[in-house]
Amino acid sequence: MRNFFSVRKLKFILPFIFLSGLFTSGYSNLVQVEDSVLNLKKKLTPEDLIIGERLFFGLVYHDNKSIKCITCHNITLSDTLNWNPDAIEISRKYLNKSTGDLSKVLLRPAGKKMVEVHKDFKLSPEEIVMIKGYMDRLAIQGLIRNKPVITNLIFFIIASALMLFSIIDLIITKVLKHKWINYIILLSSVCFITYTLVGSAIAIGRSQNYSPDQPIKFSHAVHAGQNQTDCIYCHSFAPYSKSAGIPGENVCMNCHLLVRNGTRSGAFEIYKIISAYENKKPIEWVKVHNLPDHVFFSHAQHVGAGGLKCQECHGNVKEMNVIIQVKDLSMGWCLDCHRTRKVNFTGNKFYSDYKELAEKIKNGTLDSVTVEMIGGRECMKCHY
Amino acid sequence: MKKSRTNPGGANFVPEVKNNLGSPAENENQLLGLLEHDIMKQGTSRRDFLKVFGYSFASAALLASCKRPVQKALPYIIQPPEITPGKSLYYASSFYDGHEYSSILVKTRDGRPIKIEGNLLSEFNREGTTARVQASVLSLYDDARLKNPSAENKQTTWDNIDAQIINKLKEINSKNGEIVLLTSSILSPSTIRLINEFGADFHKFKWVQYDAISYSAILEANSICFGKEAIPDYHFRNADLVVSVYADFIGTWISPAHFIQDYVSRRKLDKGEKTMLRHIHYESGMSLTGANADIRKKIKPSEEKNLLIDLYNRIAEKTGAITFPSANFREDLTGLADKLIEAKGKSIVISGTNNLDIQIIVNGINSLLGNYTNCIDLNNNIKVASGIDSKMEDLISELKEGSVKALIMYNVNPVYDYHDSENFRKGIKNTEISINMTVSLNETVGLVKYECPVNHYLESWDDAEIISGQLSLSQPCINPIFNTRSFQDSLLKWSGSSTNYHDYLTSNWEKQYFPGSGISDFRNFWNTSLGNGVFNYKVPGFKSLTHKPERLSQAMKTLEKSETGGYEIVISESVALGTGMHANNPWLMELPDPVSRQCWENVAAISISDATIWGVQNGDIVKFSNGLKLPVFVQSGQMEGTISVALGYGHTNSGPVCFRIGENLYPFVKSSAGNRNYVITIEKPINTFEKRQLALTQVHSSMEGRPIVRETSLNKYIIDPSSGNEFHKEFESTHKTLYPEVKYDGFHWGLAIDLNACIGCNSCVIACQAENNIPVVGKAEVIKRRIMHWIKIDRYYSDTPDDPKVYFQPLACQHCDNAPCENVCPVSATNHSSEGLNQMTYNRCVGTKYCINNCPYKVRRFNWYRYTNSKNFDFNTASDLGKMVLNPDVTVRERGVVEKCSFCVQRIQEKKLQAKLENRTLNDNEIKTACMQACPAGAIVFGNLNDKKSMVSKLFSDPRCYHLLEELHTLPNTGYLTKVRNDDKIDS
Repeated sequence: MRNFFSVRKLKFILPFIFLSGLFTSGYSNLVQVEDSVLNLKKKLTPEDLIIGERLFFGLVYHDNKSIKCITCHNITLSDTLNWNPDAIEISRKYLNKSTGDLSKVLLRPAGKKMVEVHKDFKLSPEEIVMIKGYMDRLAIQGLIRNKPVITNLIFFIIASALMLFSIIDLIITKVLKHKWINYIILLSSVCFITYTLVGSAIAIGRSQNYSPDQPIKFSHAVHAGQNQTDCIYCHSFAPYSKSAGIPGENVCMNCHLLVRNGTRSGAFEIYKIISAYENKKPIEWVKVHNLPDHVFFSHAQHVGAGGLKCQECHGNVKEMNVIIQVKDLSMGWCLDCHRTRKVNFTGNKFYSDYKELAEKIKNGTLDSVTVEMIGGRECMKCHY
Repeated sequence: MKKSRTNPGGANFVPEVKNNLGSPAENENQLLGLLEHDIMKQGTSRRDFLKVFGYSFASAALLASCKRPVQKALPYIIQPPEITPGKSLYYASSFYDGHEYSSILVKTRDGRPIKIEGNLLSEFNREGTTARVQASVLSLYDDARLKNPSAENKQTTWDNIDAQIINKLKEINSKNGEIVLLTSSILSPSTIRLINEFGADFHKFKWVQYDAISYSAILEANSICFGKEAIPDYHFRNADLVVSVYADFIGTWISPAHFIQDYVSRRKLDKGEKTMLRHIHYESGMSLTGANADIRKKIKPSEEKNLLIDLYNRIAEKTGAITFPSANFREDLTGLADKLIEAKGKSIVISGTNNLDIQIIVNGINSLLGNYTNCIDLNNNIKVASGIDSKMEDLISELKEGSVKALIMYNVNPVYDYHDSENFRKGIKNTEISINMTVSLNETVGLVKYECPVNHYLESWDDAEIISGQLSLSQPCINPIFNTRSFQDSLLKWSGSSTNYHDYLTSNWEKQYFPGSGISDFRNFWNTSLGNGVFNYKVPGFKSLTHKPERLSQAMKTLEKSETGGYEIVISESVALGTGMHANNPWLMELPDPVSRQCWENVAAISISDATIWGVQNGDIVKFSNGLKLPVFVQSGQMEGTISVALGYGHTNSGPVCFRIGENLYPFVKSSAGNRNYVITIEKPINTFEKRQLALTQVHSSMEGRPIVRETSLNKYIIDPSSGNEFHKEFESTHKTLYPEVKYDGFHWGLAIDLNACIGCNSCVIACQAENNIPVVGKAEVIKRRIMHWIKIDRYYSDTPDDPKVYFQPLACQHCDNAPCENVCPVSATNHSSEGLNQMTYNRCVGTKYCINNCPYKVRRFNWYRYTNSKNFDFNTASDLGKMVLNPDVTVRERGVVEKCSFCVQRIQEKKLQAKLENRTLNDNEIKTACMQACPAGAIVFGNLNDKKSMVSKLFSDPRCYHLLEELHTLPNTGYLTKVRNDDKIDS
């Protein structure tokens, strides 16, 4: 479905990445607000937007006190502790609403928690307009995050350059009198390059510790841990189907028809599921555990027939606020388990067809049968 | 081996059927030329390669820092209780396209139909399906389907079009104008009722049923002889002797899936049977049925009537009935007549010719032999076709006159498949309104005022009554993909009713069939019937039909003079495309003809001696006196002086796959004596000296004296069941090995193929293609021998090339226990499993093709290109819609890897898991490979060889069982059972 790294695409993308990586590393993120946005809010100058931003970040003082929106409403997307709605979500919600709506919520909130926190807010209408201006920009443009520094690439280029220098020096220029220095440079560069290449090649397609942002701040720690909901209640297909299944919104509504206020997140997050259900819109969860298309994995085989606990592969989900991929899901990891895991040989009648193994168990020459002994490490158990 | 390798069964294997394909060297040169050309076209230079290589080298370091693609997972809003993601759901339904019927199960996965299986509960076709039924799931995802209603070729809405049509119909009706409904044959009793109700609203209404392939003569002959206009059900299971003249009942005639069941049940010998049905076949071209006959005789179409009259007289002489004056047939038929009389009441004589006189004579013969009721059942008639040719002719003349004011068409394409299409086309313009209702694009689309596209059969509610008392239901397995509406819903709407067809259908069943069902609650009755897919009820009051011989003398009178010097073209359906209705289905387009093994176009099959006289070879294009230009295919067993051409090709507006592929033969069909006649008489054609490579999937027809298909005759088999299979014992006794023998604990999968039951219908090929996501490669690639089918049905000839014996042998990976492919793979991408499977791991394969070269059976396929998402292979896997048919349990292979039959390992694993979850042992026959499940003949049996009680173990220990090339000691897990021919001399 996705040819993310097709060779043909790489041909065009790679030089671009090289160039942009090299020349734009020091480029500061000066944001140019789109004209169309400003045209819509003609009253606001870029300075107003900056004031709005500062207000949001609590850099403007009123009576030696600052109101920091950022304390509760993060603007970074990833966040494990902050249960309040983040800035982007609020901005998107209020993008098409008037400033009056925003000021009503800001100054005279309805929620219990919000009343408590927002009670001392003294913001002038102008200030609210400026905050709204900043938030609208946030909603339209989203966050502009700094590009991650590609350390590997820098070292890779340095090593390649050094290697090139040594080769040229060895053959043509002969600047360095001691040839062994060149040899050492060559050897270490080759070692480093090989190490980097092999390491990155192995890591392709693996995503241990992958923990993407989800559209709803759904906490497994709250549901599975605190409220002790059984995994199978929501992922109900795991014991008998290939896929464990993501619960339909009707399953969420079994509880959330009544539970409308979370102890931590308040009504905001729960409202998302209610509104999605009422508007008949599916929630676009981000898939965390992905296997390549050429791997056939069945939950029914492992949970249903094998009796594995969910935690053995998915980690201690009960303590995860944001779900994270604990195991690397590599083939080596699969096979390690298949090598040692015991099957329920005497308990499940299916295995009675393995007459020789049954005989050995009876004789006492074998005490248990592992997955490997019944062909669990063969290619066509998972690849077909 | 010094022993001479003639077949012990008695057949002498000729070295090669020559003239068939040109010289081998020539073929080889052509192939090389093509390959060179292909490389030139590629345009990938060494420099390009280095560029890509360089980039990819540097990219490895980068990739680690790149962000992974984000995959979304969207749950249901309200989880439907019946759908489990990752599990298949089966719906019982019925296939009927106006030509062929099957009761089926539809396998759906996450809401989309992906595979068709036969319905075991149906008495009509049981688990058997034909290739066309198997392929019908792909036509659901055809981009050439009509997507929106349109008025005067402009897209519009249903409300708009309905208002216009209702007004127009009212207007016409008020002026007493004639309204004509032209449909394909309708099986559905509810639809028939609805049509009659619809028609009752109008002053002048006429309903005409029209079949692309006409069975009009049989219908009329039975009407004349028995007073019942019907096609009888032929009970081959009750027959000892079948004499068929031009009736390709295994391949295309009336209802192949139904007949194959019956026919093969009397040919199988796997339960110790000592008798077999004998089948004698007369025809010109080599049809699938002819190829399976015990005795096949070549005749010209013009000789047929003579043959049948002579046969009638010979039987009449012996039985004391009246004889008629006739010229004698060129052969003495006394022997045949004797055999038929011997099998009195247990024989069937049939003719596939659409000629009233001939069908009356055939009825006469059968009634002399007392075959009615026991072997030929007119009471429980097959309703698959009910079009009468003269009615269509009347309609054309009415259209021409302009007396038809409104023409409503459903599921017909007369512009393509009616011989007088020119007048039909003109006639449409004479009407005030014309409405066309069809699933997908065809030649008739665009000529009418209103296009009202209908649902695919997998999207609609319907019922069908194939044989009186045998009902079945169709149910939608997916929501309509496009803005379409079923034919019945449209009729209901236009008649002003507010109910939909589903409600109409249920209320009709409640009135008609529920009272006699013995079930107290209607919902219960309905759900049971819907779940089973079929419902049988007793039809009250059978009349015993008596034969009226009055018309016989008239039928015998008009003797056709056999023409001298001229050639006769026999036009017939092909096994793959049938009427041509599904020609835009790439699976069927690439399905080779079972006998000629040629695909992607239709050819003029000529006899070897004619080829010598004309000085032509395979692929030479000849021009006939009627303007038709076709490439020649030299067919062994073709009657001299005759030419056979398949129908169904030459579409001009039915979608991209079939666009101008082959020639359309329908315009050459003639109407003679009120029936469409599928024979043309022409002069000797002219060689145009143009040449075209034919897409042949098998170029070698001889077994080269090796015992590949082993054969014996029934008499020899009765004396010694292992006759013909003497080699097996010999090879078994001489096998020595250096390696330790592997023992399989638990499961050891095996597949047995009964060559006596296999009739070569190709159903398994399409079933396998659908199950295993096998790509279509197109004509150019087929010519390069790169067809991807995992199972192919090899066809061999023996005896004389002019009149050969034909053998069919399904060939997939043999899963050898000593597999030669496994030893040569440098990366161990192919290796052996502890269950005896020869495993192929695509993600490990680097494409050296050593395994292909070392496989003695040549069953491995290489992905020369990426066939998915490719503009060069613009078939189903190129579009998002077409890809919906893919089986999610099977990997779609990349370019550069080898693939082959996996014994449907996904099905093995699925059933094993199910047994584990249910804490029970695996049952025999529980795992069915796709080929086994689709086989209408039950020729393929899969199972556990370790279980001595399993069906496959029993077949493996049968004295007829042998392995292919077993002298190589590859120890295949596929076994074949000797073919037994019931061809002991007819007068002995």
